[in-house]
Amino acid sequence: MKSKIILLKTMLRSTSLSNIYKYTKDKKKKKKVIASCIGLFCLYAMLMGYSIAMCVGYGKLNIIDGVPVMCALIISAFSFISTIFKTNGYLFNFKEYDMLMALPFEARTVAACKFMYMYMKSLPWYLSISFAMMIGYGYFARPSIIGYVLWIILTFFLPIIPMLFAAFIGFLIARVSSGFRKSNFIQTVLTFIFVIFCFSLQYIIDAIFEDDKVEVVLTKTSEMMDQAGNVYFPAGWFSGAVKEFTVSDILLLIGVSVLLFSVVFHIVGNSYRRINSSLKSHAAMKKYKMTGQKKRSVVNAIAFKEFRRMTGSTVYMTNGAMGEVLAVLLGIVTLVIGFDNIISLITKGAPVDSAILQPAIPFIVYFFIGMVATTAFTPSLEGKNYWILQSLPIDKKTVAKGKMLFNMYLTVPFMTFGILCLCISAKVTVINTILYIILGAALCAFSTAWGCVCGIRHMRLDWENEIEVIKQSAAVAIYMFPNMFVVMGLIVLVVILGMHTDHRVLTLIFILIASILAGLSYLRVMALSNKKGW
Amino acid sequence: MNNTGILEIKHYSKSYGGEKKAADDVSLTVMGGDIYGFIGHNGAGKSTTIRAVVGVLDFTEGEIYIDGHSVKEEPMECKRVTAYIPDNPDLYENLTGIQYLNFVADVFDISAADREERIKKYADTFEITEALGDLISSYSHGMKQKVAIISALIHEPKLLVLDEPFVGLDPKAAFTLKEIMHEMCEKGTAIFFSTHVLDVAEKLCNKVAIIKKGKIIASGTMEELTEGHSLEEAFLEVENEK
Repeated sequence: MKSKIILLKTMLRSTSLSNIYKYTKDKKKKKKVIASCIGLFCLYAMLMGYSIAMCVGYGKLNIIDGVPVMCALIISAFSFISTIFKTNGYLFNFKEYDMLMALPFEARTVAACKFMYMYMKSLPWYLSISFAMMIGYGYFARPSIIGYVLWIILTFFLPIIPMLFAAFIGFLIARVSSGFRKSNFIQTVLTFIFVIFCFSLQYIIDAIFEDDKVEVVLTKTSEMMDQAGNVYFPAGWFSGAVKEFTVSDILLLIGVSVLLFSVVFHIVGNSYRRINSSLKSHAAMKKYKMTGQKKRSVVNAIAFKEFRRMTGSTVYMTNGAMGEVLAVLLGIVTLVIGFDNIISLITKGAPVDSAILQPAIPFIVYFFIGMVATTAFTPSLEGKNYWILQSLPIDKKTVAKGKMLFNMYLTVPFMTFGILCLCISAKVTVINTILYIILGAALCAFSTAWGCVCGIRHMRLDWENEIEVIKQSAAVAIYMFPNMFVVMGLIVLVVILGMHTDHRVLTLIFILIASILAGLSYLRVMALSNKKGW
Repeated sequence: MNNTGILEIKHYSKSYGGEKKAADDVSLTVMGGDIYGFIGHNGAGKSTTIRAVVGVLDFTEGEIYIDGHSVKEEPMECKRVTAYIPDNPDLYENLTGIQYLNFVADVFDISAADREERIKKYADTFEITEALGDLISSYSHGMKQKVAIISALIHEPKLLVLDEPFVGLDPKAAFTLKEIMHEMCEKGTAIFFSTHVLDVAEKLCNKVAIIKKGKIIASGTMEELTEGHSLEEAFLEVENEK
């Protein structure tokens, strides 16, 4: 136990902003730490505001009883998905593996501490959601003081079970992959398959509810929440504990979390060294023959370097290309099932004329494609290899152009494919299809350039683990969250405007706006490249 | 001088999934008091062997014993008496030097008085005491290497394993490290290290093994191997023969 505490404490300290702030002599770094803290608190506040607003809605609609289950489900889903993306990089295949494994730590101690580290680092997000929902619930439901105490204590256990499941799946993926020569590639493919399965799960659950003939109407939401609690037991246990103070529910949530933790890390510990040995090693063929070398332009050479960087990292690949894979999947599924059926599935059979949704097609595909722009993290991703670019006779603007070109190569073909599939399925006219594809390309250009602005402005080279920059950096958060919310709003706006305006005119207006924004962002990138001299 | 075999590698092999083995039937013994040099080309299998010895790399073929304990079966017993200095130490960059050294001292359960004395001794020797309060991220490669060396010496190991230890060290620090290695060897510590620098190996080691394409092609005492020639000449001769 003592060694676990020492290791966990050191892991947390080694990435804590307070430690950097306290000991760094670099004033710029101190400022960055403060900015990161402010940014993080803003995001927590946003999340809390959203959670409270949700509770207010539930309270006004007199369905406040469903809030505990809803809270448990949100935290569980959030923790499960984020852990899936982080397992490789945090639990396996991490940088300081050699240093830790050479010290007298058991393999399962290292694995368990890495998991606990992941848990502690993400805890503020879950606490923000939970405590805000507790306040909202408390305002309307007026529970006794025990309810609050139990809510606070059990919140700490809520993410453990889903995180353990996600970590265990990550372990299985890593274990299977480690048996192959191209272990990284296999790991990437398996992670993609699993994440796609998770996204499909929502529809499978919907189908289960529909089979049970549960009316999906507002007044039945509370019942639905109870049903959800019956399907996902920990949510039910949490709800039972905070609403009725059921001792068995409290014990079950705590007991199962602790038991699962012990079981999972007993299993993981047994093959931890073998998996990491395999993932950190690369088979050498030594059969290369010097033939067919190609000359590329500098910008293309940088773009190609980015491509190789992406394919060489499971974390980069699963985070950077997930939107593209989902867009392709959406396109294929729409072609097979039909645009009308997809709309009917999403709107739960509501009488919506699919024709009014046509102008939103580029934005629907962009919602996936624009989820992540590689340019938001590739400047930081240079990390300790930054010296290579610094020492080469390359203008910094050219570096930025290369990184942007790679994101365009990555996004535009998938964007075009997704739009084409949706247009064919929705029987959109040829002219409109072309206009939608142009709008899609303009949106990709904006996403690329705006991502690059965020990436350069919040560039951070001193990272320990690439997840820190790909998934958790300020640059990615600043790019991603506003982009996602704006796109969701735009989809609604375009549909409303489309009912009163000609679709072609509307699309042309949006092409113009997207192009102007892309142009302005590009100019900002060029200015930043000059000014910051990164 | 101690005559106990502190490190025993018996028929160790490792393959990374390709047809070729990175280490192929490697066997050698490092006694207490030995300074054992492990030399070979880049990619010859030195690091693959060293990483298996220190318990970082998993292996199935062969056995490795440290102080009589199997690395496979009793890894904790082995690690408690071993210290490892990698060629490119990945330390926790956002800890200060002293925080990192305290972490390692905590892991080995070193008393406060002992750790203070040892850290001070080695930090003064390597002239790094004043920088110990700074973040490791602000250190040069050589400074990181010095912190890694101090962290390895802090628990007075029975076996010291070093992978290219002189890369990145300034001449004075390299000299100091050699002095420390001699000092430890006199106390009965077994030292096993890889290097490309044949001059260093020749002056420092009493035993040497040469590895090529994963196989030990020559091993023994320095006198046996060189037979009156320089180590460089002996190395090239053996390399060309095999």
